[in-house]
Amino acid sequence: MPKQTASLGQKILLSTISVVGFVLALASGFYFFFFSQTTGNLIDRQSREITKQIIFNYERYVDSVIETANYLQLLVTNRDVVIELSDIQNIFELNTEIKRDVVSIMLFDPQGRLVVGSPVNISATTTTLAPWFVRARQEQEIFHFSVGPSINPRLPRQEDVIYVSRWVQYRNRGVLTNGLLLIELNTEVIIELSEKTNLGDFGHILILDDTNSLVYSSGTGPIVEESYAFIRNRFLGVYRHFLDPIDAYVNVNSLAQTRWRIVTVLNITEVSQTQRRVFLVIGAIFLVSLGITVAVAGLISIRVTKPLSELRRIMASIEAGDLSTPIDVGGQKEIVQLAHSFEQMVSRVRELMERLVTEQTEKRKTALRALQNQINPHFLYNTLDSIVWLAEHDRNDDVISTVVALAKFFRISISRGETFISVADEIEHVRNYLTIQQIRYGDKFHYTMDIDPQLLEHRVMKLILQPIVENAIYHSMGDDQDRISIEGVLQGDVMIFRITNTGYGITSEKIREIRDMMMGLVEQSSVGLKNVYQRLTLYYGEKADVDLSSILDESTTVTLTIPLEIPEIQGTGGHE
Amino acid sequence: MKSTNLAFFGLFGILIGMLSGLILSCAAPLPRVALFAYNLEDPYIASFVSQISDQVGNSFTLETYDARNSQVLQNEDLELAVKEGVDLLLVNPVDRLSAYGIIQHARERDIPLIFFNREPLATDLALWDSTYYVGAQAIQSAVLQAELVASLFGGNPQSLNLFDRNADNRIQAILFKGEQGHQDAEIRTTGFVETMTTMGFDLEVLALEVANWDRAEAYDTSGPLFANFGSQIELVVSNNDNMALGVISRMRQISLFEDTNQNGRVDQDDSGWIPVIGIDGLDEAVIQIEEGYLYGTVVNDSNRMATAIAELSRVLLGQRSWEDFPFPLTNEKYIWIDYLPFSRGLP
Repeated sequence: MPKQTASLGQKILLSTISVVGFVLALASGFYFFFFSQTTGNLIDRQSREITKQIIFNYERYVDSVIETANYLQLLVTNRDVVIELSDIQNIFELNTEIKRDVVSIMLFDPQGRLVVGSPVNISATTTTLAPWFVRARQEQEIFHFSVGPSINPRLPRQEDVIYVSRWVQYRNRGVLTNGLLLIELNTEVIIELSEKTNLGDFGHILILDDTNSLVYSSGTGPIVEESYAFIRNRFLGVYRHFLDPIDAYVNVNSLAQTRWRIVTVLNITEVSQTQRRVFLVIGAIFLVSLGITVAVAGLISIRVTKPLSELRRIMASIEAGDLSTPIDVGGQKEIVQLAHSFEQMVSRVRELMERLVTEQTEKRKTALRALQNQINPHFLYNTLDSIVWLAEHDRNDDVISTVVALAKFFRISISRGETFISVADEIEHVRNYLTIQQIRYGDKFHYTMDIDPQLLEHRVMKLILQPIVENAIYHSMGDDQDRISIEGVLQGDVMIFRITNTGYGITSEKIREIRDMMMGLVEQSSVGLKNVYQRLTLYYGEKADVDLSSILDESTTVTLTIPLEIPEIQGTGGHE
Repeated sequence: MKSTNLAFFGLFGILIGMLSGLILSCAAPLPRVALFAYNLEDPYIASFVSQISDQVGNSFTLETYDARNSQVLQNEDLELAVKEGVDLLLVNPVDRLSAYGIIQHARERDIPLIFFNREPLATDLALWDSTYYVGAQAIQSAVLQAELVASLFGGNPQSLNLFDRNADNRIQAILFKGEQGHQDAEIRTTGFVETMTTMGFDLEVLALEVANWDRAEAYDTSGPLFANFGSQIELVVSNNDNMALGVISRMRQISLFEDTNQNGRVDQDDSGWIPVIGIDGLDEAVIQIEEGYLYGTVVNDSNRMATAIAELSRVLLGQRSWEDFPFPLTNEKYIWIDYLPFSRGLP
């Protein structure tokens, strides 16, 4: 058998699903890709714009702070701080009053002593050790921004302030001297700026200094820790990141002139949700479309394959021998045509087979008749011979008996051409034969006959027992007590006839030989057994049997097994 | 099935075509370099950038971004360029302190950096090995200015020549500072003052004016100064040529430049001539030097600087070895390009 390939239905289904699935996947993939890209770009642009606006605001604030600081720096450079101390002090105080974010302004000499400005609650030495002092002295060219507790004791609340410090030159009695300018800012403006912008629920702003410490956070709660941890090692750029419980758009940027980083965290959960929803909808459309395709393709494949498999079933039934199976297949035109052709073929086959069966039956009948006819001439000749012999010896009674028996014998033999006769007639036939033989052989053998009366009414193929009995007589000749027994019993649905003759018996080897001969496997001239066996099997088939058994130096038994039921064979009981 | 196969082959063909197109377009790519200028409206930066791109030639592709004087825009441009994939960043920062974030960002992605025009803090440059600065040392321009002034006043601080108009052996000067808090302005200003002092000259700063590098602003602010100090002024020092030209406009307006010796032109030989000195070597400054109004300037050798940036780029892109690099490297970080003094009589 060739390699098993997929069925037609499977192929239709598979190719349809793969083509449609491929196209669908491609289409939905592209659609989702472009959709998420477009929305992604949109949110990217918007977030950047929002962030830019926020940073611009902060930059502007830083600019204004630096402007103030520059002004103050220029002031102490151009005017003599020592000579015009009270003026400078006034200007300093005026600035803290006007600008609500500026809480104190101080100018220190390099030793940390206050030259001019707001009062200070720490010692000169502590001042020189403060980070805003140390770093400003190290890097003198820039303003330093840092965070810490205010050193101005006059402030109503001791809150954290932003230090803006710078190493400057101030005029001290006409001489430019190094010093440190410190401006303290409250976080009011920074808070105000963060409140101006709407970053969504949980959205917030972080400001980090260059040591990664948090300067300011507009948010609260664990999300701030999360976003803080996320941007610790990120210095620039935008990142889409999940910060429990929101999808966030995190933008990290530098805050100009401060070395600080400003981080905006925008809530874009809604966008992510929309994207997810669209993804789900596309997925659902994909699945439903694929499902419909599968259903339609399945239906088509069933419509194509169902008549085919119906045809196949009919063919299998015909293959098994039932030529009468009706071929009635609906469906596509091609299949109906195919079925029609097949039907014509089958009817032709049926015709041929019927003719063959008729021919075979005729042949069998001819063979049977030939076999039946084999028996008679030989016996007739012998009997006529013995009648002649009896007449010569003036045994008229015996002649009469013989002739009468012979007549009866032949009447039964002929039986008006019937193949099957009653068991009683068959037994009568054997009796006639035995009578003739006993007269002929001068009572040299004895026989017993024991037939179940139930058997007598059944019908049996004629001339079955006589050839066996003939054999038995032949084989028991010469024995002193030669005796032949004929038994007939009913056993279920079969008749058993046993014909036993005393004698030397035969070996099992000989029995095998005889069997082979009976079956026609070995050519041999012995006719009786073979004739009976072939006729029985010709009509009754395998249910009938001829069996031999023997006890050496004692007896040989031939057992005939014949079914009660007479097979229905056309032509039996034909005319003769 | 046949038609299905055909469809598959068709799609396959299209895909292969697209792929090969992609591969072909990527074949033998030139290194990509992105240049970030703080503001291309600044004529100096614009011409400097075009000088750089001339020097680069076909060594690599150079994309220029204009920050329009906003650090946020520059950050965004830089971040997007980095995301697209660049091999080298040339950065002229808007805010030199923002270099901190830029360096950290580039370091994370292993992209080398060359800063120019505005020098980041040394601590920031030290954050990463592949960070360089190409530029001039601001202090040098101040020193050269001081030297030009010293030579004008006779070179001997103990006895100044006739340019010490009031003969008090002190030089009364007004200073024009570019921008308060601006690194270069601070260095140029203090550097000049300190160099003069170091050389032994007695410099009296009558006024320090901040004119934000601007010509018109210098013209405006110089008015009151001349009104206040008048003939006291013996020297005008400006952080750049632009402001110097503004001051000269004012001085010409109030007739401080007179051809007193009737030699047909304004020059130092005229009595009452006050020296004005700038920095940069603008074309107009050179003309005014020729005409005698501007005493001198210090030229930023931008051509050589552009060459240095292009050469350093080639080295960092692996197109050239350090041995062939024609500029001295200071502290593994800095390529210093010398300023050149320029005045009449000097080459």
